[in-house]
Amino acid sequence: MRSGRPFHRDSLTAFALLVPVVVYLAAFIGFPFVMSFIYSISNATIGDPHFSITGLNNFREMFHDAAFRTSLANTFIFTFVSIALVIVLAHILAELLIRDFPGKWIARFLLMLPWTTPIALGTIGFLWFMDSVYSPFDWLLRKLGLLGSPGDLFGPMSNLYWLARPGLAMASVILVHVWRLLPLATVILIAGLNAIPREIVEAAQIDGAGYFRRLFHITLPLLFPVIGVTVLFSVFFTFTDMTVVWILTRGGPPPHATQVLASLAFLKSIQGGDLAQGAAISLFFFPVLAGIAAIVLRLVKKAVVV
Amino acid sequence: MTRYFSRRDFIKTTGIGTVGLALGGPAFIGKAFAQPAGRRTLRILQWSHFVPRYDRWFDPFVKRWGEEHNINVIINHISLSDLRSTFASEVVAGRGHDIVEFIDPPSDFEPSVLDLSDLNQEARHRFGQQVPFATRSSYNPDTKKYYGFCHGWTIDPGDYRKSLWQKVGKPDGPRTWEDLLVYAARIKQELGIQNGIGLSQELDSNMAGRALLWSFDTGTQDAREHVILDNRKTVEAVKYMANLYDRTLTPEVFGWTPASNNQLLIAGRASYILNSISAYRSAQKDVPEIAKDIYFSPALKGPGGSGWACEHVIYVSVIPKFAAANADIAKQFLLDLCANYDRAMWESELYASPAFFNTPLLSGDRGYPRVRGAKKMRDLFSHWFSDDPYALPGEARGKLLPLKDAESWATNVGHPGPANPAEGEIFGTYIIPNMFARVAQKQQRAEESVKQAAAECQRIFDKWRAKGLIGHRG
Repeated sequence: MRSGRPFHRDSLTAFALLVPVVVYLAAFIGFPFVMSFIYSISNATIGDPHFSITGLNNFREMFHDAAFRTSLANTFIFTFVSIALVIVLAHILAELLIRDFPGKWIARFLLMLPWTTPIALGTIGFLWFMDSVYSPFDWLLRKLGLLGSPGDLFGPMSNLYWLARPGLAMASVILVHVWRLLPLATVILIAGLNAIPREIVEAAQIDGAGYFRRLFHITLPLLFPVIGVTVLFSVFFTFTDMTVVWILTRGGPPPHATQVLASLAFLKSIQGGDLAQGAAISLFFFPVLAGIAAIVLRLVKKAVVV
Repeated sequence: MTRYFSRRDFIKTTGIGTVGLALGGPAFIGKAFAQPAGRRTLRILQWSHFVPRYDRWFDPFVKRWGEEHNINVIINHISLSDLRSTFASEVVAGRGHDIVEFIDPPSDFEPSVLDLSDLNQEARHRFGQQVPFATRSSYNPDTKKYYGFCHGWTIDPGDYRKSLWQKVGKPDGPRTWEDLLVYAARIKQELGIQNGIGLSQELDSNMAGRALLWSFDTGTQDAREHVILDNRKTVEAVKYMANLYDRTLTPEVFGWTPASNNQLLIAGRASYILNSISAYRSAQKDVPEIAKDIYFSPALKGPGGSGWACEHVIYVSVIPKFAAANADIAKQFLLDLCANYDRAMWESELYASPAFFNTPLLSGDRGYPRVRGAKKMRDLFSHWFSDDPYALPGEARGKLLPLKDAESWATNVGHPGPANPAEGEIFGTYIIPNMFARVAQKQQRAEESVKQAAAECQRIFDKWRAKGLIGHRG
């Protein structure tokens, strides 16, 4: 019989086991979050640890700032285009990689490589590939006769200037981000595909369902919870990430063509010294991400129940 | 009996260990920055110099200085981009390095650093007058406080390819912004080589934009720190830049990093860039034939005859308040660094120039060929810029001569006023390059873009004025 004492040995053990997690969450998530909130309603700067509370001024200024509005739009474009590409490409790759073929393990190993490379290093590699003078992509296009002379498909200029033209710069940033997220999404979807009972698929095949019918009526509905989780992870990764943008374009080409909220918060608070404004911008993430998480999780739950 | 280490024991031990580490870690980290008993320790944080040879001289120099004064010296070099965030963390933590060297005026850190009036006064007493823009980059006239100590600066001339400019009938390179527009356009049209002025969110584009504004007799603020950007001269300057872009540049300038203009010049694909002599020094090492063709021009003059170059690399050291206990040795070190600025000039391959030109030269072997008759930094500076000691064999002599009077056409961020925190934020958030770029990209008319930038500047000024770091001088 278990003891009725409130501090049973097992309870103490459970408490001790929980303490590190609670300490970790409080120290590295709770405390910064509370500080961000306090900074966002203050006049804090990075050069002065003393500040006073100024109310909602920073939020009012934020909404009047053209850079914020541009960055907000860019963040949504960057996030949703990246994720749409990641989900489609990951699904194609997952479909290929669950099949048996010679060299399958090498293909899976190569697929995982971008995920194992530190993101900063990988992005610096792309920075060189997209250099305005020495880009090997441009070199290849010139060699193929597609760039560098009047009448060429990509124009007469010697280079495409990947990171200097607003549209191309955004496309470049998205490309690198997709390259980075694709392995994780593919692995999650491979796991999801492997979990679909083979007999359901076989029964559909026997009933004469073609590939697309099976895809839209069996595979995707059964994969929906997995896709939901993948989307959720990807949205969080993308919405809060500034590494790719900062290394490739620093938010340029001017004015703020690829600036996202995370990089704008850094620009304002660290480079500009206005910690309060930076905190207000970062706090904008919280309700947006909480809302997205609530919607996706609700949809996933519904799908599982059905 | 053998006692097995159960899974439960393992989890308990690691759990307790983690809690212990979480609670004890900060104390341990704190001790790493604590002052050891006995011999004192001086900690210096600074950027990794653009000229690696400078750091190779500086680090042993600092160690030797420490040994001579019975002081342990720790020097940490970090990337320039990490400097502000690292120092900000140290300010909040209340512990860290005793001297932090910036390359732009860290005026927004004024509340967290010591007033160095005594150090600046002592330096003037020992070494004579400081170049005026060095003072304006380290002194707040509103609070009457020296938040920093400026010991050196970097000359930012125009670097041009003589052979190209010769072909279009301007062998001595441009002298005015109008020259740049007319002849660089001809070089691009006739020789296919573009001009190299940046219009991006980066350091050199910031520098170029300010140089252009000042040369058009306008700027972000006046001498009394009032925003003056929204005026007819700024609109003219912005229209000029859009014209310069159309006729002499390519879209790549919107995506540049601080290294891009150097890279373009060294690759033989730029007729003119605004930069320090570092691009030329790199070319001397990597592409000597290009280096031999690179010459220099002073700040370009605008329509009214003014010509200014922006000091975008100026060495300002601060001593944080939390390092007050070591302020005496930190100040001693900075004074001794000034006294040794001949070595700083030499080892940086003339990239760094002294803020105190009348500093007497120290005797003994100084690690460079003795210059006959040189008694002060000024003598050395004049000699080396008349006859570059780093010129390649067979290279034309006297190429650096146009830079000899650079202090008369160089000025600080915030010219004609001081480098205050509002100017720092405007610089750090690239409001000026964006103002030019919007018009060059035909997204806005010049008048609209100037109005938008002026409103952004005004908001920033109001904020810092409310913080008390910019005064209300009328």
